[in-house]
Amino acid sequence: MKPAEKEEESVYKRVVLKNASPYQYMKICLVLEDESTRLSAVELKLFIISGLRNLYGEVGAALNFDLLKYDEDTLTAFLRVTSRGLVKLWSSLTLLGSYQNQACAFRVLQVSSFLLSLTGNSRDLQLD
Amino acid sequence: MSVDVSPTPQSLLVCDRSSFLDQKNRLNSQVEQLRFNYKVSLLLPECGSAPSHLDSVLNSFSSFCVIRNLPIYELLDRHFLESAVYHGSVYGLSYGTRMDEDNCVALMPNGRLSLSLDKDSYELLGLQGKPSRFNHRTRIRFVVSIDLTDSNMAPGGQGYLRLLTGLKSRLQLQTDFLLSHHPGGIPSLQPLLSRFEWSEHKPKVVHRSLTDLACPVLTSDQWSCDPHSFLEWLGAVDADISSENSSSTFLSSWVCPEPQRPVSQALSVSVCGLLLPQDLHRLTQALRGYLEQPRLESWASMTVHGFVDSVVSWGENEHRVHRGGHNFYTLLMFHNHMYHLHLASEAKDSCPP
Amino acid sequence: MSVFMDLNVVYSADRSSLRTVIETAAHLGFSAVAINYVFEPTSKKKQEIPTPVKINELIDQLPVVQGRSRPIRVLNRLTVVMSDSSHFRPNAAEYRCFDLLAVQPTSEKLFHAACMLYDVDIICISVTEKLPFFFKRAPINGAIDRGVVFEVSYSAAIRDSTMRRYTITNATCLMESCKGKNVILSSAAEKALELRGPYDVTNLGLLFGLSDGDAKEAVSSTCRAVLLHAETRKTASGIIYTTNSQQEAPGQQEALQEPADCEAPAAKRAKAT
Repeated sequence: MKPAEKEEESVYKRVVLKNASPYQYMKICLVLEDESTRLSAVELKLFIISGLRNLYGEVGAALNFDLLKYDEDTLTAFLRVTSRGLVKLWSSLTLLGSYQNQACAFRVLQVSSFLLSLTGNSRDLQLD
Repeated sequence: MSVDVSPTPQSLLVCDRSSFLDQKNRLNSQVEQLRFNYKVSLLLPECGSAPSHLDSVLNSFSSFCVIRNLPIYELLDRHFLESAVYHGSVYGLSYGTRMDEDNCVALMPNGRLSLSLDKDSYELLGLQGKPSRFNHRTRIRFVVSIDLTDSNMAPGGQGYLRLLTGLKSRLQLQTDFLLSHHPGGIPSLQPLLSRFEWSEHKPKVVHRSLTDLACPVLTSDQWSCDPHSFLEWLGAVDADISSENSSSTFLSSWVCPEPQRPVSQALSVSVCGLLLPQDLHRLTQALRGYLEQPRLESWASMTVHGFVDSVVSWGENEHRVHRGGHNFYTLLMFHNHMYHLHLASEAKDSCPP
Repeated sequence: MSVFMDLNVVYSADRSSLRTVIETAAHLGFSAVAINYVFEPTSKKKQEIPTPVKINELIDQLPVVQGRSRPIRVLNRLTVVMSDSSHFRPNAAEYRCFDLLAVQPTSEKLFHAACMLYDVDIICISVTEKLPFFFKRAPINGAIDRGVVFEVSYSAAIRDSTMRRYTITNATCLMESCKGKNVILSSAAEKALELRGPYDVTNLGLLFGLSDGDAKEAVSSTCRAVLLHAETRKTASGIIYTTNSQQEAPGQQEALQEPADCEAPAAKRAKAT
């Protein structure tokens, strides 16, 4: 146990966390057939919940997720969901095909275990 | 016939705590191992505008260039090897290619050329490589890594000629390429650039002033805030997410981690492009200087994102993109020379150093 | 992993709509799509097998794949919906106009024959009805050995909740028998808004009972294997390739023969791993 004690004396400490991230983050964009349609943040969240209910029933509708940020003009949003709920939320977004009788699609732009990665994606680099 | 739809997605986070004054701190070696950096973002609490010495470092990041449709065998050009690869460090990375789909190429500062190839291209190249660690059922991707500084790879040597014919007459790999050189900069790359269509780019600096921020209380002696919550908060600041809607938790239940305190203003600066570890090292030093002056908040943070489609992740370890392919580190520095370093990557990728 | 492909977008006579679908696929990051001509013979009268529209007639300039500098690759595919064994005519000259050949058997007997005998690339699993038969291990293993793949398409699941149930039921049944091997996921989209991105489809694969790795292969490496299988179908034992030299420009000919040069063991190519 000696080395461990030594470490306590010095300031150095290292912790490895594997698969411990409690949340997953998604950057999504809603595409609607009629591009002039606008949704408020509450309407968007209710729409996503309806998708969860369609696919997973009441248990799915109870899945907790957060709408962290939403831009009404571009219909782009940041979502946060518990790690165990990611596949459920994602698949119900994928299978959502109509909003108020018009065709629609969710484009999932990025998924990550870290919110930081959503603002630092090198695939967005544009050089001309 | 039940399907488990709740597997936990994988992630890896390494947290280090140490002091700049500790002789054995490994910060420099750790930071250098992430070679292809795309973006750095700083957060300076209680700071209205960056002090001039910090500003000058931020504005003096080395330029890089992008070459359109570079035939990869041109990297073996004798003049280029002599002027750039053997002297100093070259950072080169294929651009507009994706690690989980396309052939990707990296030229590393130690003179190693690393090619991540699909099966067809690998067989055409006809050079020995290793199957990727991340192949699933079938061997579909291979990695060929060649040390260009090896005596066998000297121009005219046997290995050199084999690689040259492989890349020139068989595989004919062509891609857009990002290139930078330390310490010579663009002039050292001239022998190569003069023959192709290329453009020079200066890393882009963006300043953003924030006001009335809720900020977690961070202290240097312990993990005062859980690493995941801290990184989440940093991400929220970066993405401009407000926690004001806490009155209605219907939309979002996210709040700033407790204990928190209000910060009247903060400065967020980001730099984007192909960033060299040497420049990031200078930035770290400048931040230490910044922290030595007495301030209301005694910390500053610096987050560095690596290129998602880099062939290597940390050091020379093979990088994998499954869903996001993120790799980044966050350095949280304190007034008393202590620092917290958080290194993150997608799991199954290699563990950060 | 290889590039992402969607080997089933439904042909429609409305060219502009088809073009929009292809553009959207490129924008979502697919590097190749196949335009699917569905041929459903009825037992009574003889019908003509459709002939594919040439790609360059359909679309002048192919859209660029998202984030890359290369254009999307567009292929033609024929799917024969079979309710009788006479509906599939081996060696029919009309089949040769298509890059990919698929069958959709509607009975157990035909499914067995498709797995074990027919010289096709893809066997479609119906997603619009509950399958009237169970998947048996033997024919499925036979198909896997021959390098034939099974296809599950997802756009019906977006259109209608009953279809969604059938899609998930039939897909999970299939995955239990084939253990995730030789499966491709495709859209069968008729409209651009029915397409989903490659990572979305991968995630959907988990719902069908695929593992993380198998699901990603189902939109990439397995699709590549299908293309190689289709190429060998046109050759003799994967060695000799005949082509009408008057129609093909020399450049194209070279491109087609290129993969055949690189792999020595011809016998292995049929599996196209």
